[in-house]
Amino acid sequence: MKCVIEGNGIKVFGRAIHALSRIGDEIWLDPLEDGLAVRTVNSSQSGYACFCFAPLFFQQYIPDPATKDSQAVKCKLNLKCVLPMFRCVTCRERSVDRCEISIKIPDGRVTFRFHCRHGITKTHNLGYQECEALQAVFPAHLSPNVLMAQSKLLGGIVVHFPVSQEEVTLSVSSLKVVLKTFCVEENDCIKGMNTALMLHPDELDYFQVGEDSDVTFCLKELRGLLSFAECYGLPVSCQFGAAGQPISFTVKDITLEAHVVLSTLTNPDSESSSQPAPRDDCPVKTPKASTAENSTYEEPMEAEVCVSDGERVASSQGSEMFSPARHMRKMMQLHAPEEILQRPCFAPESVLTTPVTPATFKIRSLLFGAVYNSGDGKAADFPSLVYASDTEDDGGTQETISFSSGLQHTSADLRRREVLTVITGFESGNKRFQKGVGLEPFCCSQLHLVSIGK
Amino acid sequence: MKFRAKIVDVGCLNHFTRVVNTVSKLTKACVLRLTCDHLYFVLSGRVATGGVSMWCELLQVNFFDEFQLEGVSADANEIFLEVAPENLSRALKTAQNAKSVKIKLTKKSCPCLTLAAELPSLSSLSRVVTHDLPVDVIPRRLWYDFREPQMPEFDVSIYLPPLKTMKSVVDRMKNLSNYLVVEANLNGKMNLKIETDLVSVTTHFKELGNPPWGEDGSQSSSRTHREPELMAETRVDIRKLQQFLTGQQVNPSRAMCNIVDGRILHLIFLHEDVSLQYFIPAVV
Repeated sequence: MKCVIEGNGIKVFGRAIHALSRIGDEIWLDPLEDGLAVRTVNSSQSGYACFCFAPLFFQQYIPDPATKDSQAVKCKLNLKCVLPMFRCVTCRERSVDRCEISIKIPDGRVTFRFHCRHGITKTHNLGYQECEALQAVFPAHLSPNVLMAQSKLLGGIVVHFPVSQEEVTLSVSSLKVVLKTFCVEENDCIKGMNTALMLHPDELDYFQVGEDSDVTFCLKELRGLLSFAECYGLPVSCQFGAAGQPISFTVKDITLEAHVVLSTLTNPDSESSSQPAPRDDCPVKTPKASTAENSTYEEPMEAEVCVSDGERVASSQGSEMFSPARHMRKMMQLHAPEEILQRPCFAPESVLTTPVTPATFKIRSLLFGAVYNSGDGKAADFPSLVYASDTEDDGGTQETISFSSGLQHTSADLRRREVLTVITGFESGNKRFQKGVGLEPFCCSQLHLVSIGK
Repeated sequence: MKFRAKIVDVGCLNHFTRVVNTVSKLTKACVLRLTCDHLYFVLSGRVATGGVSMWCELLQVNFFDEFQLEGVSADANEIFLEVAPENLSRALKTAQNAKSVKIKLTKKSCPCLTLAAELPSLSSLSRVVTHDLPVDVIPRRLWYDFREPQMPEFDVSIYLPPLKTMKSVVDRMKNLSNYLVVEANLNGKMNLKIETDLVSVTTHFKELGNPPWGEDGSQSSSRTHREPELMAETRVDIRKLQQFLTGQQVNPSRAMCNIVDGRILHLIFLHEDVSLQYFIPAVV
């Protein structure tokens, strides 16, 4: 992949990198046909961000050479290496004329070359980690509640909350929108300061409330996108549903599109009403069909719970603890015999890069439990697990296997497509998000991340 | 117990915010004493805080347009609350252009000081931002700890040099030593001294002027016979002094210090409607 960014675009790119750095520690560079996608996910997999730069953004954009056979490159870079390159650029704007980013597969390097004034060229070579790309599957267009507001308005609202404040609760009804700090009450006493403010629907550019809901998400992770949008005066749209379903924020422009998807805290009341997941040995299903069986989810695209052998996943469905090793074995049994089980098998071309609709493809997704401190010690090794889900054409028979990110394979053989669905489940006794390797149970919330290969 | 107050004037709001910011730089937690005429931010000297104590007095009418107080009882018409001034400072920070700020004592799941700022917004309705600050009500039996400090029987009282100068001197000295000796005499001379094994540094200030305390008879008669050239000194922890000087947001109209030889350094900063006193005990 090779691309060239000119002048102002470098500042935009730099700001995008900064916004991404607010969420995760690593970025995935994914050169696609229709643009360069730069993605990140946070360590607890409860927050995902993606900046897609259209070819129009670049002075020159060449994704991979058009040979079907060639290895599609998916690389993961440490943000600590990338950020310093763009830190100076945003302040010393006029010194850099051009920036070339190229990915050289044989060398295993990503090269950032900055052509600066006075004939100076700065070249940074970063080694990258090969991995599968990452993408959240979130059917934003199916969200019952949609708000759109000018970034300046949102910036002015968010400034009232202390920077250290992590979680906020957004409550909507048809009459008003309330944003307040999510407070944890201990011994009948609120800790720290509680801030609340109200917005009138008239202040928003677009206001659609399908159902009244209160969603709690991490504000800190959103600030990156908000400051990016404010720099460029772009409106921010926000799609969400009931508590527990992810909330997504989108900023769009002709040349780029940015998404931030954050998981939200589930309502503890809903846990008691959830039904156990259907038990199925061959859990390949259409998500649509699962809706009927899965009473917790209202949206057809929400993950269906896939269970095997009577094991249930720790989640708000009230499923039991998930055992990765056991599930992997189960998955392998589903393979066609001639397939080598070490490598994931890739589904054909049905994988989409945009939010999927039930009609177009079927995902089997696996819920897996987050770390339990009360469960068995083994579970503590896998704070989050990445599983390949299978995609099926109507007549397809290919299936995929799952593997845990702890065994992240570094195979260079990325010819075949794969679809990974990452679903993070959190359980909580104290109803808080936890970043990083959580050793405490969390409230259940779901974020779907789909990893795609080419 | 009831407390409601409202600030409408932007200038008053800014001034109040600055006072709160100053207090928040000095301590993490202090006592807010509310009476019908005054507000006091009180920090009583404790070993944990290094023995420093603070008394900040605000005249209520100069800040608030409305002020209603119903104390603990009719004969003790005051309220003592333990607050974290940093929270108050943060709540006021983004309300600087508010049309009005209302503060009242409420009870959510615990007693709170609720700050409601009415901000101008694009739509016709103004935006109201509410902040709830948890506070602790201090029972009457503990009020004695937070009484107004008595003016110590000082040996020398002197006006301080310009704050900016003094602050930069103290900042530089802090790099060299942990303890600073402040000495002054009744001839308007003040020295700031540090001494280490390797180096000793003294900064001399002269012609500072001495406040005319004698008339109100607050000092013992022995002081009037004090040698004008005789220096009174205290050795204090330099960080405490630096913290105090750094926290100042506004130049005071009067800044002076009283020194009790070998015992205490008493700093008094007077503004138009705010007075701030800070006591730093001497270290041996």
